[in-house]
Amino acid sequence: MQQSEPSMPEATLLRLEERTETQIREIAQADILVGIPSFNNSSTIGHVVRAVIAGLAKYFPECRAVLVNSDGGSTDGTPDVVAKASVDLGIMLITDRQGFLHRIITPYKGISGKGSAFRTIFEVARRLGVKACAVVDADLRSITPEWIELLLRPVLSGGFDFVAPYYLRHKYDGTITNSIVYPLTRALYGVQIRQPIGGDFGFSGKLAGHYMDQHVWESDVAGFGIDIWMTTEAVASGARVCQSFLGAKIHNPKDPAADLSAMLAQVVGAIFTLLEAHQQVWIPRQGSRPIPMFGFQYEVGVEPVNVNVDRMIACFRQGLVDLRPIWEGMLAAETLQALSATRDMPSHHFHIPDEVWARTVYDCALAFHRLVLNREHLLKAMTPLYLGRTASFVVETQGLTTRETEDRIEQLCKVFEQLKPYLLERWGAVKEA
Amino acid sequence: MREFVHTTLLEPLTTIGTRILHFLPNLFAAVIILGVGWLLARLLGHGVERLLRMLGVDHLADQLGITTVLTRTGLKPVPSHLAGRMLYWGLVILTAIAALGALDVKAINQLATGFLNYLPHVLTATVILLAGMLLSNFVARTALIAAVNANFPAAATAAGLARWGVLLAALAMALEELGIAENIVVVGFGITLGGVVLAVAIAFGLGAKDLAKEFLERMLSDKPRDRLPDDLKHL
Repeated sequence: MQQSEPSMPEATLLRLEERTETQIREIAQADILVGIPSFNNSSTIGHVVRAVIAGLAKYFPECRAVLVNSDGGSTDGTPDVVAKASVDLGIMLITDRQGFLHRIITPYKGISGKGSAFRTIFEVARRLGVKACAVVDADLRSITPEWIELLLRPVLSGGFDFVAPYYLRHKYDGTITNSIVYPLTRALYGVQIRQPIGGDFGFSGKLAGHYMDQHVWESDVAGFGIDIWMTTEAVASGARVCQSFLGAKIHNPKDPAADLSAMLAQVVGAIFTLLEAHQQVWIPRQGSRPIPMFGFQYEVGVEPVNVNVDRMIACFRQGLVDLRPIWEGMLAAETLQALSATRDMPSHHFHIPDEVWARTVYDCALAFHRLVLNREHLLKAMTPLYLGRTASFVVETQGLTTRETEDRIEQLCKVFEQLKPYLLERWGAVKEA
Repeated sequence: MREFVHTTLLEPLTTIGTRILHFLPNLFAAVIILGVGWLLARLLGHGVERLLRMLGVDHLADQLGITTVLTRTGLKPVPSHLAGRMLYWGLVILTAIAALGALDVKAINQLATGFLNYLPHVLTATVILLAGMLLSNFVARTALIAAVNANFPAAATAAGLARWGVLLAALAMALEELGIAENIVVVGFGITLGGVVLAVAIAFGLGAKDLAKEFLERMLSDKPRDRLPDDLKHL
């Protein structure tokens, strides 16, 4: 892993709020940092902060710890909730709390988005020279103090650089992860990280420094692309990667105001951009390998998710008609032909086969690489394709259990891995041309 | 008689001859300018075409959607060829004007000066039109994708409206630059745009009043939407 020096020249430092700078000078040094990015999360962030306080007190009483809330200008009093949140450690049978938990509540600068919030957290981590960091989402309703240990302990005691989360989620929760991000990341980089954009990660202070050294903060990474960027950078930089079983992930939907196509474009745009940056890493890799998993695994019930399949199919079919000229530029003729074959299928039999979907994603990656059309247009024109595939997945798995659905995702991942030569051949052809 | 022949026949002929003799070098110069200019135009036109092709401008134009725009306008969609031909004809026109100027004929000079003064306006109007066409293509595609993603049934119509809105604006600006019926263009454009907005408003208000009601309710109310449940969490 490329590692950065703990002390960086002044010119490379991110300028923080004056009050934050003062707090950092006062704290001077810390062992652990837990970051919480937020924007209008007053209804859930109190619980998250209490879980973090309890987790740090229970599992890391000997460590100097800092909690950083990097806020995007909330108008619902989120920072106040963070400042006031407290835990009665007595009722949690925690008596040996030694260190004092510092709280830094700061607005972030730069493009509005989760990535910019993380940038501030990384900067604070670097300034304080922490050994281990964790970031957790502010919209979590199922976080427990154990999450903090599971995200930090592998770094502090196990010598790992990056800890990805492993959750139990409803089969229709995280559909971008299940249909694109996990299969693609696994096939490309050869590492089976089940939740590459889980949002709750643990990582070493050195990796935080590595993140800060990358000049990506004006791109999709500043938004929803941050999670996949962190995971991919960790894998590509040769960091030691593991995952921790965190139980159920129950959370509010990500920024309800954000539209799906913008979210999808940011996540997929970040993956495609990273494909170009890390060609030397993913091109030679074949197959995939599991990574160490920490935590005690158990079964839990998850909240039901309602899905409107007809609306997704309607969007896909409208795309087949209206976006055809754009898709013709993005997709191989055979892929588009296979997708068009679904036009007359009744909703309850709607099906996009795994092979067709894998080729669709690879075709889009190639089109992005070849700049066949404006990249923003390309990424946003993928939304109906994604909705079509999601509808197909829902139709196919509606009678299946979570375990059986997981097997279906495993099957899809294997198809992505088998078809990787399809991408490689065309990527190579681009290079030769 | 001799004097008569001298004054009425020879003198005018001498004058004409002198004038022709004076004009001949000018004509000769004009022919040379025309010949050299044409040769130069041909060389530069071909040279620029080849250079642009070598630099991959055609591929870049494909990616930027310029080729699509050119196809729509009925032009031969090879940007390097087009740029070469434009340069060739630009140089030929300038050469012709220079050649006419070399003739040193007052009327032609005035005409050439007038044309030269007008040329910047023509060039500006051409640039405005080309930029308008490119922008209209981009805007139409953006609108089309956004409308399809929003499940808007008339996505193609919305994209077409966006395209023609930008094209009309560009056309109005180009005509204004050319100084052609400036007021009529402005008024005409205002009436057209006003008409389109009114038509859309009436269509939205009458034809899609339920949709408008739902839209306004959604915009003005904090209440969750009463529609088919869909709480899919994509991330």
